[in-house]
Amino acid sequence: MRIESCYFCGAPAYPSKGITFMRNDGKSFRFCKSKCHKNFKLRRNPRSLRWTKASRRRAGKEMTVDNSLLFEARRNVPVRYNPELMAKTIQAMKRVSEIRARRERVFYKKRMAGNKARELARAAKLVAEHEHLLPRIRGSELRRRREAAGEDAMDIEDGIVDEDARVVKQKSQVFGGEKKRLKVRVEEMAEE
Amino acid sequence: MKTTWKDIPPVPTQQEFLDIVLSRTQRKLPTQIRAGFKISRIRAFYTRKVKFTQETFSEKFGAILDSFPRLQDIHPFHKDLLNTLYDADHFKIALGQLSTAKHLIETISRDYVRLLKYAQSLFQCKQLKKAALGRMATLIKRLKDPLLYLDQVRQHLGRLPSIDPNTRTLLICGYPNVGKSSFLRSITRADVDVQPYAFTTKSLFVGHFDYKYLRFQAIDTPGILDHPLEEMNTIEMQSITAIAHLRSAIMYFMDLSEQCGYSVKDQIQLFRSIKPLFSNKLVFIVVNKIDVTKPEDLDAETQEELQGLLKSNEVEMLQLSCNTQEGVQEVKNAACERLIAERVNQKLKAGTNNSGEVGGRLADVMSRIHVATPMGGQTLQSFIPEAAKNRKKYDKNDPERRKLAKDVEEENGGAGVHNVDMRADWILENPDWKYDAIPEIFDGKNVYDFIDPDIEAKLAALEEEEERLEQEGFYESDEDIDDEEAAEILAKAEVIEEQIALTRNEAKMRKTKLKNQAIIPRKLQKKKLSELDDALDRRGVDTTDIMERARSKSRPRGRSMTRSRAGTEDADAMDVDSTPRDRLRSKSRAQSRAPTTNRREDGVQDEATRSKVDRLAKLHQKKMNRMARQGEGDRHTTASLTKHLVTGKRGMGKTQRR
Repeated sequence: MRIESCYFCGAPAYPSKGITFMRNDGKSFRFCKSKCHKNFKLRRNPRSLRWTKASRRRAGKEMTVDNSLLFEARRNVPVRYNPELMAKTIQAMKRVSEIRARRERVFYKKRMAGNKARELARAAKLVAEHEHLLPRIRGSELRRRREAAGEDAMDIEDGIVDEDARVVKQKSQVFGGEKKRLKVRVEEMAEE
Repeated sequence: MKTTWKDIPPVPTQQEFLDIVLSRTQRKLPTQIRAGFKISRIRAFYTRKVKFTQETFSEKFGAILDSFPRLQDIHPFHKDLLNTLYDADHFKIALGQLSTAKHLIETISRDYVRLLKYAQSLFQCKQLKKAALGRMATLIKRLKDPLLYLDQVRQHLGRLPSIDPNTRTLLICGYPNVGKSSFLRSITRADVDVQPYAFTTKSLFVGHFDYKYLRFQAIDTPGILDHPLEEMNTIEMQSITAIAHLRSAIMYFMDLSEQCGYSVKDQIQLFRSIKPLFSNKLVFIVVNKIDVTKPEDLDAETQEELQGLLKSNEVEMLQLSCNTQEGVQEVKNAACERLIAERVNQKLKAGTNNSGEVGGRLADVMSRIHVATPMGGQTLQSFIPEAAKNRKKYDKNDPERRKLAKDVEEENGGAGVHNVDMRADWILENPDWKYDAIPEIFDGKNVYDFIDPDIEAKLAALEEEEERLEQEGFYESDEDIDDEEAAEILAKAEVIEEQIALTRNEAKMRKTKLKNQAIIPRKLQKKKLSELDDALDRRGVDTTDIMERARSKSRPRGRSMTRSRAGTEDADAMDVDSTPRDRLRSKSRAQSRAPTTNRREDGVQDEATRSKVDRLAKLHQKKMNRMARQGEGDRHTTASLTKHLVTGKRGMGKTQRR
């Protein structure tokens, strides 16, 4: 038994899952799900569909060049069973997958490197252009405050309300970890 | 070299000859000359005429001379044959006469052309031409006999069989009536006349047949009588010519039964007398009619004489009977076989030079032939190992026989119960490992894809690389932009985005509410004062003053509560144009204002009814749409007008009445 990879999307197809198409020239095509099979029958090119592994690889979204990827391969050289070798292999598999995961994370980070600055630049531009849309203290409220404060409080400025308890979405930067979305109160952060 | 002359064109008789030439001259050069022409022109014309006639004659003669074979150019066999048939001297003389006539005509023409140069008048020219042609005609008239003779020769030549003197040939000769033609008939498809009298065959006949995929020709000759060459007639001479000149296997036919009318002795005598002609040739004595008499039946003396002919070893005796077809094929085959061998030998001899080496064309052919023998002519011996020879044959009842898988199956409960142990024959370093549980899948990966004898080294290399990368700082993350200022900007941007989205959504909602109506320009849209107030208030503007002013400015509907003269006067209007007349004037003037009602909504109470109305309208239109009929909303094109009725300058009448 072995875990085949889907011909179309590249996902693993476990034993008893999916369907295999044997072409009359002897080539076999394993599909992980009917979606892949149907798309194959529609003669679609997996590279031109965004959801397949092939297209991701083509677009440079996956790590394709790395030494850790060289361990897993179909070698058409039969090797006789040896428990020592088997033990070593399993150990190696663990270690390799660790290293690979780590490198993939770095790869992803590098790919996403400029995003933050770009996002910030966009936000700054938006703020600069549409400042008038920011909520302000209402005119009536301002007047009320002034009246309450009397003649001496003329210096109360009308301004943008930013002390409101608003919830701001913020992405945490946890190194090497999974993407986590934390909801943090800006106010509290300012206090701390 | 030519062997047949079937394509010689007919030779005309002298009268025909003359007619042809003169009419051709007349046709090609019609007399278009008058007495008044310049003398040079007249001379030129007649010169041309004489020359043309001469050329035509020459051409014709040339054609005849060329078409006949020239005796010195053809094969000696054909030469001799022509000699015997047509008499070479006669033939040569006839051709020579033609040739001489050609020369003479040329001379005549030359002379008269010269004379024509001095002719003074048309008449003189004409006379000279006439004289020239007349002399030519006279010459031709004298050629009556040779022309006739040549035509006969031509006819006879055309009927001669095509004998190739150089191919494989069987030549059949002998006394008359010994069965030569019968033999030819039985081995080839040639339809030769066979009759029971002497000299049925009066000329050479040729038949063809194949032996060993080679084409042979068999030549049947007329019978020969035994007398000196000088006394032989034309018929016999043909045979002699053929025997003398053709490179062939000669089959001398003999009739021992003497049914032909000639005694055996005579026949032997004939053989002896024509023997000199057989030099360098294969000779067979073929005894025919063995169904009547065999050589053994003869008396001893004759038999001995007959054997005497064969003594010289080159002569072979064959026997056959054309009547019963006995031995015909054998004779043919034997003769052909010998002939082929002989010819090959001769060729080889001709190809080899004095030192014994093969040269010339033969060497070219020989160098291209390679006879391959497999393994250099060796034959392989099959090798059977000792063990295989000594192997004991399998016997079911033998107690010490080999144990088969079938036996194992039987022992373990038979088919359907026993499971074949596939691992039993595994070859591993340690047989104890045979039944180990072998992992196939680990962590969602195929273990077998990772198995590699040098995995340790590879892993070590990877670890090393990992360490290096770690030191190089490959895994260190960059500083993130993570300050308060940035967070604030992002937060603001989010609020702004939300606001934009809301506005956009509102606009969209407004649009859907319109339900396909025209969009009313913003200028004409009405807005409440409170809306203005709210909007400004939200922007942080103190609206108290603005609102107050607006309220004071606005006029309530209906009559003013304050008293005024006309009851229409505004209470706090500015007193600018104070004359009541002016004021009235301005009121009565037409005002441009936005439409007060929406026609679409007239008669419809509320939004719900409005939707219902729309739905109903659509429903009624549905059928019409489905039938693809024209509805009232469709664009309508009126029937087109006939062009001549509507365009162009009007002459009489009006546009409508034309």
